[in-house]
Amino acid sequence: MSHVSDMKVLFSRLCSIKNGLPTFKYGSRSFSQNIDRPPQPLPKQSVSPLPPLSEPMQNLPPVLYASSKSENYVTEVTVLENGLRVASEKKFGQFCTAGDSRGLEAVTQVLAEVTLRPQLSTEEIESARQAVAFELETLSMRPEQETILMDMIHSAAYKGNTLGLPKICPTENVYNIDRGIILNYLKNHYTPDRMVVAAVGVDHEPFVEYVQKYFVDMKPAWQHEDSAIFTPLTDKSIAQYTGGIEQEECEIPLYPGSDLPELSHVVIGLESCSHGDPDFVATCVLNMMMGGGGSFSAGGPGKGMYTRLYTNVLNRYHWMFNATAYNHAYGDTGLFCVHSAAPPARLHDTALVIARELANMAGNVGETELRRAKTQLQSMLLMNLEARPVVFEDVGRQVLATGKRKSPSFFIKEIEKVTADDIIRVARRMLSKKPAVAARGKLAHLPSFEDIQANMSLNKSDASPQGRRLNLFRV
Amino acid sequence: MLKVANTVRFVAKKGNNVRALATAAAYKQALVNVPPTQLTVLDNGIRVASEDSGAATATVGLWIDAGSRYENSKNNGVAHFLEHMAFKGTSKRSQTDLELLVENMGAHLNAYTSREQTVFYAKCLANDIPAAVEILADIIQNSSLAEPEIERERGVILREMQDVESNLQEVVFDHLHATAFQGTPLGQTILGPTKNIKKISKSDLQQYIKTHYQPSRIVLSGAGGITHGKLVDLASKHLGGLKNTATDVELLPCRYTGSEIRVRDDSMPLAHVAIAVEGAGWTDADNIPLMVANTLIGAWDRSQGGAANNASYLARAASCENLCHSFQSFNTCYKDTGLWGIYFVAEPMQIEDMVYNIQKEWMKLCTSVTEGEVDRAKNLLKTNMLLQLDGTTPVCEDIGRQILCYNRRIPLHELDARIDSVSVQNIRDVCYKFLFDRCPVVAAVGPTEALPDYTRIRAGMYWLRA
Repeated sequence: MSHVSDMKVLFSRLCSIKNGLPTFKYGSRSFSQNIDRPPQPLPKQSVSPLPPLSEPMQNLPPVLYASSKSENYVTEVTVLENGLRVASEKKFGQFCTAGDSRGLEAVTQVLAEVTLRPQLSTEEIESARQAVAFELETLSMRPEQETILMDMIHSAAYKGNTLGLPKICPTENVYNIDRGIILNYLKNHYTPDRMVVAAVGVDHEPFVEYVQKYFVDMKPAWQHEDSAIFTPLTDKSIAQYTGGIEQEECEIPLYPGSDLPELSHVVIGLESCSHGDPDFVATCVLNMMMGGGGSFSAGGPGKGMYTRLYTNVLNRYHWMFNATAYNHAYGDTGLFCVHSAAPPARLHDTALVIARELANMAGNVGETELRRAKTQLQSMLLMNLEARPVVFEDVGRQVLATGKRKSPSFFIKEIEKVTADDIIRVARRMLSKKPAVAARGKLAHLPSFEDIQANMSLNKSDASPQGRRLNLFRV
Repeated sequence: MLKVANTVRFVAKKGNNVRALATAAAYKQALVNVPPTQLTVLDNGIRVASEDSGAATATVGLWIDAGSRYENSKNNGVAHFLEHMAFKGTSKRSQTDLELLVENMGAHLNAYTSREQTVFYAKCLANDIPAAVEILADIIQNSSLAEPEIERERGVILREMQDVESNLQEVVFDHLHATAFQGTPLGQTILGPTKNIKKISKSDLQQYIKTHYQPSRIVLSGAGGITHGKLVDLASKHLGGLKNTATDVELLPCRYTGSEIRVRDDSMPLAHVAIAVEGAGWTDADNIPLMVANTLIGAWDRSQGGAANNASYLARAASCENLCHSFQSFNTCYKDTGLWGIYFVAEPMQIEDMVYNIQKEWMKLCTSVTEGEVDRAKNLLKTNMLLQLDGTTPVCEDIGRQILCYNRRIPLHELDARIDSVSVQNIRDVCYKFLFDRCPVVAAVGPTEALPDYTRIRAGMYWLRA
């Protein structure tokens, strides 16, 4: 008897004594000789006792579908006795998934528990530290630089104050932040006057009642006897725009397994206006007009292929990989910036091309491009509001900032009113201040801050853009 | 242009943060709370389906039953090439005219190709629907396919290929298909090999359109501020002229082979691994329990806190024992087959423990999953499916895909009832059928030295215990 058949006998003896399971025999793996027939075909029949998904299920209860109606819903806002604002909107009432009061109560309670009465146990803080440390590690390993650059441009624009403080947790702080620091932060900042409890798709009255119960009647974890005389210590200072430059010479991780070249990044920013400013809507239109994106990006027509950063920049200078305009609006200020990326050797040209394109904003505004930017902004607004989380966030933010919510149609009309003169005025206002610059990567070819600034000065904008562009490579 | 490598992955992204807080009663009430989907079949076989939500915006799109599965090794990549040519001008309008028209409307035009479907869609203001349908009809019927544009697009596609190659998840899934469906069209990539991209000709493209863009295989889907009657009128006006010319294309079964591909590269910091078994086709009733099983395994990454309280055992093990950086359970469906499995990213020395834990959880699904776990997964699955339908584009996408896959749109209350009917025994039966003692497929890229041998992974697919 060969060794193999010996083993076969042994295995069949071992396995046949199993109860209930299929017998495992040595050699049960059949090796198929016929490539058209897999050795182990799946049974054809499904084992679930229902018809296939292409056929309807029987005995379902009768259905009543919602009808479509585009109503204008109002945001109701109630201010509770301690100053806490409660905002809700009935929109999506017909699509809402958590409309039942018991669900709403549970959700409100959970929200109150996590914001006002967290345990902050040692284990929780430790796991949060690990999560933050992991995020920082991921951030440093990824080729995408936007998050870091946005922190840097804010720090350049508002040096050492308010919005200039880093949003990304500094590595040295991860293990310094402890329960005491967190509690102190919560005590001073999670105060009723700084909070809005918002909901979309619920009835206002019961919602207010639950908020009263869990946010007002039940006290925060940090509230003690002496709380009546407690005055929160918060930094109420207004953002001070400073301008200036922030740079970091470093290796930027490459996209693994691809031959995309190494890139250096530069962001040039200007102080724009707050979201309460009369020029806010015009700034948004200008942002849309500048547009931009990646030189190689997903999506077909509609991604802003005829915006200035495409037509004037990306389509002309093929070595540039990215040029995108952003506008960050805050309560007391705003930051308008253009992010660009190119191989390190082209960084000089990149920074100056972007600087001149920003200066060019105070020049002529074409009728077609303005019309297009306005329509695109209007459609973007409406498209963003398709998603429930966005509507909800919009309610929360607007009520927090202004105490009420303006309807989308209000903004549509405001956008319609923007003229070419508004755009030029807004651009001149922005260009009248010192720029902010952030750069990251190999920076040997980065022009000096003064060079960048000189290319953005308003006086020069009288020169024809074409003429200046010819000088580009002789700077 | 967007490329969707895996038709639809029912992956609970950050799913563990979402709890079904609503009670059962509220959920039922909500389910009837969407507008109905209406379906009309035109004389030439085009199916028009829409859901009217009365929104100020809308998405309309053409879903075509054609993709890389219908290609052979000679023309693999044609379906995707065509997607690229779609916006390069038609006999009616030049590329610039088309681009300006769309940009000036504030609309978005997009397209993607998967292994079984080709999709062209437009997102626009509700008033612009007639223009959007006209543009879509124009680009699939009158695409000019001019030689200079074809030449230029080769470079763009090769560049896109670089992008895909830099996304390791895509690379792993391409390898997974290549080995699981080796020797069959499903094993091919969507982009096709470089040599095909370099030589695909105008006549290849025309031939593909002629064979596959048949009205009986096209769905016009719409969602948002859309009146069904008007959409049907627009469809007859702009797409009514299409004729079914070719005979039906035969769908050849794609043989699954339990097997593996390892691309070892020790210079990479992390290993990217996918392990799967053959899953169910779109219409198979077993698909719903498979999706619940999928939710039971869940998804997780290191930035998610709450380690010890995670509902998924695997997430708990992964975070407490530091087994991986992230994992996602997936269920990719095709017409008659599918892939059900898990994708994870781990440091080299963690791989073996991670694989051990995955297989332990898989075997538990087959033998000892409990009622409480299944109930929670069912709730989570319902929530995730509803949350996906947010906005006109996801709804339009859902309609288009379902009409192609099921020839109907499953009403939400039926989906709800189907998920409700999944019992513990059902989960065990289905997992026993698809998982237990089945040959898995394994695809791994990176420092894969510590990934157990195939024979050992195969041996982890059953338990010798009663």
